[in-house]
Amino acid sequence: MSANRWFATGNFFSAYRDEQRIFATHLDRAIFATFLTALFVWPLCFEVSSKNMLVLDNILVAMVAIIGLNLVTGFAGLISIGHAAFVGVGAYTLALLARTIGDSHVLITHAWPLMLLGCGGMGALFGAFVGLPALRLKHLYLAIATLSFQMIFQWTINFLPMFNQGQTISIGRVFWFGGEVSRKDHYFFWYYVALTIVVVFGLAVRNLLRSRYGRSLVAVRDNDRAADAMGMHPGLTKVYAFALAGFFAGVAGGLHAYLYRGAGIESFTLQQSITYLAMAIVGGLGTLTGAFWGPAAIRLLDLQVENLVEWLTAIMPANMNLATALKPLTFGLVIVLFLMFEPRGIANWWRICRSYVKLWPFRY
Amino acid sequence: MTYFLQLVLSGIVVGSIYALSGLGFVLIYKSSRVLNIAHGQIIAMGAFITYALTVWLKIPLYISFFISMGVTFFLAMSVERIFLRRLIGEPIISVIMVTIGLMSILDGIIYLTPFGSFNYSFPDFFPKTTINIGPATISWTQLVGVIVTFVLIGLFSWFFKRSTVGISMRAVSDDQLASMSVGISVPKVFGLAWAMAGMSAAAAGGIIGNITGLNFETLHAFGIIVFPVVILGGLDSIVGAVVAGIIMGLIQQFASGYLDGKWGLNGTADVLPYIILLVILLFKPHGLFGTHEIERV
Repeated sequence: MSANRWFATGNFFSAYRDEQRIFATHLDRAIFATFLTALFVWPLCFEVSSKNMLVLDNILVAMVAIIGLNLVTGFAGLISIGHAAFVGVGAYTLALLARTIGDSHVLITHAWPLMLLGCGGMGALFGAFVGLPALRLKHLYLAIATLSFQMIFQWTINFLPMFNQGQTISIGRVFWFGGEVSRKDHYFFWYYVALTIVVVFGLAVRNLLRSRYGRSLVAVRDNDRAADAMGMHPGLTKVYAFALAGFFAGVAGGLHAYLYRGAGIESFTLQQSITYLAMAIVGGLGTLTGAFWGPAAIRLLDLQVENLVEWLTAIMPANMNLATALKPLTFGLVIVLFLMFEPRGIANWWRICRSYVKLWPFRY
Repeated sequence: MTYFLQLVLSGIVVGSIYALSGLGFVLIYKSSRVLNIAHGQIIAMGAFITYALTVWLKIPLYISFFISMGVTFFLAMSVERIFLRRLIGEPIISVIMVTIGLMSILDGIIYLTPFGSFNYSFPDFFPKTTINIGPATISWTQLVGVIVTFVLIGLFSWFFKRSTVGISMRAVSDDQLASMSVGISVPKVFGLAWAMAGMSAAAAGGIIGNITGLNFETLHAFGIIVFPVVILGGLDSIVGAVVAGIIMGLIQQFASGYLDGKWGLNGTADVLPYIILLVILLFKPHGLFGTHEIERV
């Protein structure tokens, strides 16, 4: 291995352990630590409006969900057209509890980390159930299974009185050391919670992917018969991939419900599932960094589209429903264009930049 | 008993339309192994084009019906040419994703037209009186719709079974390499399969539009209800799509006729097909008529 663990010009791995390190060089680790500190510190230094904070919170929540979607679609190669429904399962676990025991019950306001884990667990349970056809079938049918789960979920929420028929179910304000989180600090507080969760989950997934359980996902994606011959159970691995994705989605759902202080069906529709897919594809399927690039890129694009709509409605006849038209149009275009011209997503640009810097001043 | 017969009758009406939309879906899947998630949007487009031609341009219904089939013929063919042709040989995931993206794009385009935000309904082309079949009744529009649907299904099946192009399509679905070696242009067949699926979708859209009126949400839902239909019938079986379409129509009518309003349930017709779909995937994944895929290493 290279003697210098700060600057490595090229790869000098001489043992598998070197290759599997979470950070290849000390410099990487230092940059990561600095970046993380910056993310945690900057809201304290600047005055950020609630509106902008909400955008950031949204991006972070989407990141949690996309880490899961990326695991199932990117690493395990199984399309999930119902990811919003899994997020919804998490949110509605919390909402249903809030509806039964009251939205300001001590369990919901004080034990919220436990609640988030509970949402994740419920998501994992549903994920595993929807993944069950994987024991007999290939990805194509699984995509249909997730789609039908999405439809069943939407019906359940929309028609059962238990879930308030899709109307918002409210959830109380949470407590932190030093009392209730006030309206002013609400988005601020959840920024930190979501950021912590994203960091922890990101590291956890990085760790998972270098372990046996993570690599079995990739093996099953690449060739499930070969994986079978090497002693993995392809079907069970797929079910487990869905359960993992469900867990992440469930936690994201719980976060979403706490963040908006309620759960309503409009955040968990088929349209939203497609948005999640767009995020995963734009970020880069099968890469961990893709799970962070995608939501950020799509949310920013979303904001731009909203600005454009505002600008257009001023000069266009008012009877056109531009907002509902332009969003699907741009997301669809983004999905199709990325798939045709850059199937590896933004993460690939990032990789190219990194390898350029890494090898500098040499070209290769 | 009358109630039962009435449900059977309306189930057949709805089911025959499902059969026609399922047929187009199966055509694409059978020849090119692409899961076309944007099928509902093509159905909606067919309906809207028919409406625009008949009501705004005052073209007789039967002519505009065929014109809209022609338009979607070329629309679907160009979709295949522009988006899917370059993905031949790519992993199946990206192909499905592209159709998802396509669905989103077509959604956006439709929302840009007035059809996205307003509901229209066709003027009455047929007498408003109803026909009595035994104790049950059926309207003229529905009757004509069912007849046209079955004629079209018959024509499509005949085309697929007997004509040279149809035979080459079946050959491609059986073995691409072998069919190339006997001089069949596989890309051309893919394009034709899409084009014919587009035609059948437009026909289905026109008929639905006449029976239920033009609401984008409802038409859009037809593209998703296609999934339970084709899974029940078997993804690659045309007969399966037709039989399963009618079964699904009957199930939906019975569900809304007998289940709704009991035990606080509502709108069961919208969810039952998907529950059935999940159950079929668990226990009989190849459906009623689908071929079992046997993998050999």
